[in-house]
Amino acid sequence: MAKKRKRTDAPAEAAGADKPDDSAPERPPRTLFGFTEPAPDAEAAPAEAGSAVAPFRNKEKVLITCSRRIAYRYRHLMQDILSLLPHAKKDSKVESKQSKGSALNELLELRSCSSCLFFECRKQKDLYLWMVKSPGGPSIKFLVNAVHTMEELKLTGNHLKGSRPLITFSTNFDEQPHWKLVKEMITQIFATPKDHRKAKPFHDHVFAFSIVDGHVWFRNYQISVPHNEIDKVDKGGLDKMTLIEVGPRFCLNPIKIFGGSFGGPTWYENPYYISPNQIRALEKRQKAGKYAKKVKAKVRRKMHEMENTLEPDEFAELWKGE
Amino acid sequence: MVGLAREEALAHDEVIMDDADSDVEVSDSEDDSGEEAQATPSENAIYNKVAILEKLEDIAWPKNVDWMHKLTIEHDQGGKVDVNDDLARELAFYTQALDGTRQAFEKLQSMKVRFLRPTDYYAEMVKTDAHMHKIKGRLLSEKRRIEEAEERKKAREAKKIAKEVQAEKNKQRAKDKKEQIESVKKWRKQRQQGGFAKGNDDVPDLNFEGEEGFKQSKKKRPGVSPGDRSGGLAKRGKEGKNRRSRDAKFGHGGRKGLKKQNTAETTNDFRSYKGGESQTKKRKRS
Repeated sequence: MAKKRKRTDAPAEAAGADKPDDSAPERPPRTLFGFTEPAPDAEAAPAEAGSAVAPFRNKEKVLITCSRRIAYRYRHLMQDILSLLPHAKKDSKVESKQSKGSALNELLELRSCSSCLFFECRKQKDLYLWMVKSPGGPSIKFLVNAVHTMEELKLTGNHLKGSRPLITFSTNFDEQPHWKLVKEMITQIFATPKDHRKAKPFHDHVFAFSIVDGHVWFRNYQISVPHNEIDKVDKGGLDKMTLIEVGPRFCLNPIKIFGGSFGGPTWYENPYYISPNQIRALEKRQKAGKYAKKVKAKVRRKMHEMENTLEPDEFAELWKGE
Repeated sequence: MVGLAREEALAHDEVIMDDADSDVEVSDSEDDSGEEAQATPSENAIYNKVAILEKLEDIAWPKNVDWMHKLTIEHDQGGKVDVNDDLARELAFYTQALDGTRQAFEKLQSMKVRFLRPTDYYAEMVKTDAHMHKIKGRLLSEKRRIEEAEERKKAREAKKIAKEVQAEKNKQRAKDKKEQIESVKKWRKQRQQGGFAKGNDDVPDLNFEGEEGFKQSKKKRPGVSPGDRSGGLAKRGKEGKNRRSRDAKFGHGGRKGLKKQNTAETTNDFRSYKGGESQTKKRKRS
């Protein structure tokens, strides 16, 4: 476990620089290699913040629930995500009648959670994920595809339960405002708070969120790097680093962004989104169209034959007598 | 702005979009996939960038938050990744994660934070030990299957080669035999022609030294004489490991059809004939 901190003030480790400091800037800590400079971020902070801002504490709490009649695969996905986020609380299943609007907001207040991941499963086939920030925050509805849970034997990695993840985003999250919002919400929900009770001290897994073809793809990898000490990688070890997939895997297709939590004005609609019901209906219609097309083709052929009659065949009578 | 007008119209709570939308235009036979038809009709979708950015400002963490809280890295994806090519897509994700981790580790190392898990640190893992055991079992069985397939392939190849070698050997043997017979004939002819006056030339000039000496014929069963039809199995004195139990279970093996031989013993053996005369008489009647 992490060693007990002797400092009793701000819990954040680098908060030493954030601490209001009236005296001259303190000497950088001395190490074996000489004086190291503190991170430039920390240097800028006291200059800007002065003594007014309290050190930042991430008090994020996520509520994870699902609707009733959820399929087993999606339930396992929900459980996997629960195990990945130590700052998450699981709640019992929500009736589908209640899942609109107010009931879920009340639940969030009751459990004093600041965000919510709500898995809604319709017709036991389609999974929708709501990412919601609690008090009046925006909410995003996604359609979840390509689900692979951690149970799959092909995903062989493993990591500490509760260790803080490194989160990587692809740069196309910064291109458009709605992606920026998605990125911010993902960061707030999926990043384990630094001093959470259940958080473990080491960093041994990494999340990868990327946007490909208008969908957000999620992968979770275990980091394996040769090392002998716990705060330094072996020489050249960074090149020998390998990632092993732990799971789960899913792909999110954003449908709409709402201004309020679980409702409110629509701020964004995905123009390329087709609901799974429509896709199924289209397929059925295409299949049904096959027979109708055949009949039409037959009728057309008949008309064509009637219009252009063939000349009488000279050889038709040839074998008649025999 | 279109966005604002829409916003007023939809001020009430939105119902989850579930039923078939009316802006889907699908012409019956001309369309091959409805998804392409969808791309253009919904271009009038709502996109309220201003409100989104405002809300973003509201909920975002303060700008000067220490990186240790967020632990986020950005990575440039490079070119467009083809969604349908699984390998390329997964490779893109892998390189993104790898690159991000490298950057993060460099940062963490410079911050002198303890971030690498020591090997003796035992704590609850996200997958149970039983599950990891199953994974290991599966990996091992896959490896074994691959190895067996390779061995089988190799055995097949070796058999093919062995067959060819055997064919060659047989050919060689036949040739040698023919040669030997030919040489004996030649010698005899020579002797005839020479009128047996060549002196004590009993031994034919068979040029023994040229053939690497007299090769011992490599018989497969050294104890078996060529005229023995039972293949050396007729007289088997000592029993091997639990031979008696095996004989009792699977029957006595090895006596190669000696019952059907036409030898002195069998001609006078009338054990199998039971009332033979009456049988023949019966057959003649029917």
